[in-house]
Amino acid sequence: MPIVLNGDTGISTPMYNGAISSNAVTPVVGMKNKIINGACVIDQRNAGALINPAVSGYTVDRWYYFQSQTSKGTIGQNAGSVTPPVGFTNYLGFTSTSAYSINSTDQFLIQQSIEGFNFADLGFGSANAKTVTLSFQVYSSLTGTFGGVLQNSASTRNYPFTYTISTANTWTSISVTIAGDTTGTWVGATNGTGVKVVFSLGSGTSQSATAGAWTGTSFITSATGATSVVGTNGATFYITGVQLEVGSTATSFDYRPYGTELQLCQRYFEKSYQQGVALGASGQGNTGQTLYVGTGNTVAGGDKLPNTTFMVTKRTAPTINTWSTNGTANTLANMSGTDLATNSCTPNVANDRSFFAYNATSSVSGTSGCVQFQWSASAEL
Amino acid sequence: MYKLTTDGHMIQRLSDNAFIPFDPANTDYQTFKKEVLAGAELQDADGNVMTQEQADDFIKELP
Repeated sequence: MPIVLNGDTGISTPMYNGAISSNAVTPVVGMKNKIINGACVIDQRNAGALINPAVSGYTVDRWYYFQSQTSKGTIGQNAGSVTPPVGFTNYLGFTSTSAYSINSTDQFLIQQSIEGFNFADLGFGSANAKTVTLSFQVYSSLTGTFGGVLQNSASTRNYPFTYTISTANTWTSISVTIAGDTTGTWVGATNGTGVKVVFSLGSGTSQSATAGAWTGTSFITSATGATSVVGTNGATFYITGVQLEVGSTATSFDYRPYGTELQLCQRYFEKSYQQGVALGASGQGNTGQTLYVGTGNTVAGGDKLPNTTFMVTKRTAPTINTWSTNGTANTLANMSGTDLATNSCTPNVANDRSFFAYNATSSVSGTSGCVQFQWSASAEL
Repeated sequence: MYKLTTDGHMIQRLSDNAFIPFDPANTDYQTFKKEVLAGAELQDADGNVMTQEQADDFIKELP
């Protein structure tokens, strides 16, 4: 059957009919993946460096790492430098740095929160809740049953799931189909958290529940009996190609153009640094925000610096950091790259479109008539 | 640890010098309120450490 464009009847294809009938099958179209940066390509904050936060932090864009005990592992883009699965160039890699025996309340996890505006169409919390399928590629030095959870914003509705890695140190394709939750409170079409997708690296017994069913038990992060990656020193857990889509079948990964993926990430995090440069890096002159002061003029104490407008509107008013081009916090640099007074670039007001900083110290003067700084803006969920 | 700013438009998180807007949808702001109520140190704009009672009263007035 050919594709037919008809002014009266609309579009007809082998799968789709413009006059949609109750049994019409909607073709799979772009942006089917609710996950952003599922291929772990974008790493604005760390530029490929591993992190080991005290409690939590962001690794590659949109992916959040949480540990209830400090110093139990490192995580970052392409950690371990194994060959990614076919079709991918990047992955998110965790390495356990101790053999930690988890207690009942421990949680070690990798998570992505999906904004309500991008998830409300699935109708969770209603009789029309749609079935979703989570698919990904995973690689571990361990074998066995691993766990994760799909969770609402308040963590009061949880669907623990399991998956099996049968062969160590080999990429394995996983697909988990989850019936939509017809009860509970889901935030709907707001800029809050629509759903959280959680992969557990170790969860205590009170944080675990029976796999395969929605539960109202709060703050579940894994399925009962799942493997603890943090329990083995040197154990690895790598993941990429994460996709959450409507339907009961995993389809091919939704590869999006790099620029599109970056812009999707920038709704939640944006920086003035070039891609590939980590936050607070030194030697970053002439690449960030440059402000013309005028030769011989100064930025007086209390002066507002011109607004910085974001490339992408943020989810909400973001948290702001500023650095000099040498990496000194809240400080302007002159065009020679020399730091001016501390607090000469102190963030002052932010909204979802822009922010400005001001000189919270005495007058400073930029040589060549200009001053410069770098910044980041975070509006993560 | 957190510190109020002179003009009161944002909160400074001292661990990483981040400035957090008073926006209920900002998750750093949500964490700030939760942590201060749980006993995290809050300084006024001059760097004086607030008592827990002062900090609690301050948080209660926020959006």
